[in-house]
Amino acid sequence: MRTLKRQGMLYIMMVPVVLYFVLFAYYPLARGLQASFQDYKLMGDRPYIGFDNYETVAHDPTFWNALWNTLAIGGGILVAGFLAPLIVALSLNEVWSRGFKKTAQLVLYVPHLLSWVVIGGICIFLLSPDTGLVNLLLAKGFGLAPINFMAEEGWARVVMVGSAVWKDMGYNCILFLAGIVAISPSLFEAARMDGATRWQQLRYVTLPQLLSTMKVILLLNTLGLFRIFDQIFVMRNPAIASKVDVLMMYTFQKGIMEIRIGPAAAASFFVVLFTLLLTVVVRRMTRFDEV
Amino acid sequence: MGIERFERMGWKNRTFDVLNAVFLIVLMLTMIVPFLNVAALAFSSGMASMRPDIILFPKDFSVEGFATVWHSLDLKRPFANSVIVTVAGTALHVLLSSMAGYVLIQPHLPGKKIMVSFILLTMMIPQDAILIPLYLVNKDLHLINTLGSLILSGMISGFSILLMRNYFLGVPYEMSESAQIDGAGPLRIFASMYMRLAKTGLATVTLFEFVSRWNMLTAPVLFINDPAKNTLQVALKSMIVDASATSSNFLVTTNVRMAGILISIIPLLAIYPFVQRYFMKGLMLGANKE
Repeated sequence: MRTLKRQGMLYIMMVPVVLYFVLFAYYPLARGLQASFQDYKLMGDRPYIGFDNYETVAHDPTFWNALWNTLAIGGGILVAGFLAPLIVALSLNEVWSRGFKKTAQLVLYVPHLLSWVVIGGICIFLLSPDTGLVNLLLAKGFGLAPINFMAEEGWARVVMVGSAVWKDMGYNCILFLAGIVAISPSLFEAARMDGATRWQQLRYVTLPQLLSTMKVILLLNTLGLFRIFDQIFVMRNPAIASKVDVLMMYTFQKGIMEIRIGPAAAASFFVVLFTLLLTVVVRRMTRFDEV
Repeated sequence: MGIERFERMGWKNRTFDVLNAVFLIVLMLTMIVPFLNVAALAFSSGMASMRPDIILFPKDFSVEGFATVWHSLDLKRPFANSVIVTVAGTALHVLLSSMAGYVLIQPHLPGKKIMVSFILLTMMIPQDAILIPLYLVNKDLHLINTLGSLILSGMISGFSILLMRNYFLGVPYEMSESAQIDGAGPLRIFASMYMRLAKTGLATVTLFEFVSRWNMLTAPVLFINDPAKNTLQVALKSMIVDASATSSNFLVTTNVRMAGILISIIPLLAIYPFVQRYFMKGLMLGANKE
């Protein structure tokens, strides 16, 4: 009887969580799926129209352009956002002074703490052609003519990838460092006894031992690929929109700005499909490495 | 011979150490200089801040930018909204997520596996898939243009539940067994024992949530279009980004924009010492438990 009462209380404690997830996760998912098959109007009937919404989206060149932008920018962030923090973490690990190491970690982490509005705003300002610090540096240091980074299509994606990598550098760096710290010190000791140089220790101890951390980070970052939104929402402008508008931006514009709920829902289920595909591919690839 | 080799290694090592330190310092400067630049501009007068020669130190020192952005541009209202949403949302998030985390550490609780999968599955739902339906749900609940929609957005997360569960697992279960024998119910054990003993976990989740709520942009963009209910990030976005594109507003000089940025990051800098203590540890715990 007492266990029953006890368990009853435990289930009651779970009620808010279950309710919340049903209402704000599962129900929206189901409703989105339903809307993707409907001619969805905010008022009146919503007749089912089969795959018409999916066809509309599939024939929309803007959608495919958004997919291409997502893959280009997201792919760039995935690769550069993996390599850059790895290099920085390895470099931090070679630092002897604890104070310097700690300070560097603290400083590198700051941009990750700030919002995309702040970071994007600062980037736009720093990159502006007439008063920006970057162009000032390019002019004074290399005698280059000012570049309008935020308005030139050729630079648009580079700027997005660069700023995203810069912002999350400290975060990913800590994840890598956590992996490095977890490596057993006896491995390094044994390597040193055998006369291994620092480079050899890095090559034959640190990197192989870090493999599982690398896989986790790669997988986590892959899942983030289709989530890019805040950054683009802040940093886009009409001059570069066709180069940087990503899939979530497409869904947002279709659904909220144009109030075409049906096609927007269909587009988001295409994204679900892409996410699943990509996850499977990355899982395969990381498992393949293991053999 | 052996000594020679050792010396050569020493020389190489030192060169590497110096280059390595230079590399890290340059990298740190790319983080520090922009913020010093922002601060220098924020503390300059409106006229001076429009010229390109301010880099690290303010010219014609003044705090008029802060006064303009706070009073004339009324940044105090979105700031207050952000404070409400962040504080209420974080408190609810921490309480509800840890409650669920506590339930999940109970041994022999029928249906626990189902609950765990139910929670894990929510973490796999892509945000994009529910972006539009979430708007519809909030509309049906008459939450559009209320701060309630922002507090409810992300009020519970699978990630926090699992993180709290990991911390609670570190509390010896025998303690709660002996409390049970003394007649304490699960709610009391949770509140008086677990919430006290898993302080590091609570601090980690609180800080995670505080930062992400303060910086939240997608939810207010979706759910709010009444300027009176705007949050700080949205107000800043229209002030920094949109205004610089049109520059029709004579009030929004560069020093005003930079003052806005500084005001928005003060709460984050205020909690940074705690972040350093808990957040990074929490991250490492999360990374190792994956």
